Amino acid sequence: MEAMAEAALWFWLPTVLVPFGIWISLSSRETMGRAFGRCLAFLGFAGIVLSPWTVPSSPSSEAGHLLGFIVGPSALLLVGLYLIAFSGNVPVGRLPKSDRRMGVAAVVIGFVWFAGMHWGDFTPTLNGEVNRYWLVFLPTFLLLLTCLCSGAALCLRVIGVQRSIESNVLWFVSGFIFLLLVLAMTVDGHSVDSASFRYHLWLAGSDLLGTAVGLSISILVFGLVIYWHERRLPEPQSVNPPTNEELDFVANIVSANLGGGEDE
Amino acid sequence: MSDGKLGVTWRAMLVAFLLPLVSLWALDLTLGGSVDAGIDSLPRFANAVLTSYTLGSLLLLGNLFFYADSRQRPLAPLIGMLAAASIGLLTTVVLLNQGDLLMEDNGSVRAQVLYNLVHMFVSTGAILLALGLALGSTFATITAQKARRTILEEEE
Repeated sequence: MEAMAEAALWFWLPTVLVPFGIWISLSSRETMGRAFGRCLAFLGFAGIVLSPWTVPSSPSSEAGHLLGFIVGPSALLLVGLYLIAFSGNVPVGRLPKSDRRMGVAAVVIGFVWFAGMHWGDFTPTLNGEVNRYWLVFLPTFLLLLTCLCSGAALCLRVIGVQRSIESNVLWFVSGFIFLLLVLAMTVDGHSVDSASFRYHLWLAGSDLLGTAVGLSISILVFGLVIYWHERRLPEPQSVNPPTNEELDFVANIVSANLGGGEDE
Repeated sequence: MSDGKLGVTWRAMLVAFLLPLVSLWALDLTLGGSVDAGIDSLPRFANAVLTSYTLGSLLLLGNLFFYADSRQRPLAPLIGMLAAASIGLLTTVVLLNQGDLLMEDNGSVRAQVLYNLVHMFVSTGAILLALGLALGSTFATITAQKARRTILEEEE
């Protein structure tokens, strides 16, 4: 089979299956439809992760290789934060206090895992070379995370009322991620040296900026398309004013639902 | 909150958001500066703009189907968004054909387009994970504090 056809079948088809499955799962009203959508998304996900074996000749399969590497620490971080958040003061669905310790452990292990993938022995490498998408993922992820935590910290302090403790915690998180970035910029990793990381940090910054600009333009165009379409629509036909009978009917419904009894 | 104070708040939040980014770039320049990256950043920026615009337009085109449900399924906005997405794709191909203007380390226009797509998927994954962690951290720090007395209780 031609290399392009192989890539289309073993990488791009599973890639399309993921959003398609999610779309079916979210838009379907029946249980079977939702389950089918989830199955499709899972099959697509598995297909992407397996692409380094199914279509090793395609450069795109490096993304599948990376996905297989990062899914573990990412899941640990997200599940850990979920456990921490919902074992705190939430009015409904509160988890037991012991889950908090488990959550903290999951977050710490997740971060150590990510740090180990840069400084340790388990950097994602394919055919003896560092996966090029790892050099896209790590700087983008860390850079945006430190910026978002910094923004959220100030947001809590300025907009929130008496939220200085929470704000300080987020400053600390932002500072910690910032420190990780500075360390990566100055201390060589196991397979990625500091100069290479600094080079990719610049690219990650321009990538984030470019993505924000492109998305903003597409949203602007979307708004303009809707605006032009709505503006060209004819005026809606006016309806007759309500009759006395209709007004009485509405007044009865309103009066039946106004007020509040002693039992409330 | 008054309009003036709201404006200051937004500006302060934007500064807080950009502060780590600017600090890191300043630190990099102090460490010798990645001049090559500065030059290579321009094609990356342009490719990111074009790819995110095209993919964003396609995503919003899908969103228009839900809008059409409540508007007797008009075709005009669908065609409009399809044209907008096509312009993005066409601009990408035309600009990639202009020599080395937007080409990165890829041999052909097709390879560069596919690289742009995969690169965008990876970036989107990193962005979504960072967003999830930032939101999760904010929520976790808020729920970690002791329960507060509400205003109603204070009034009583």
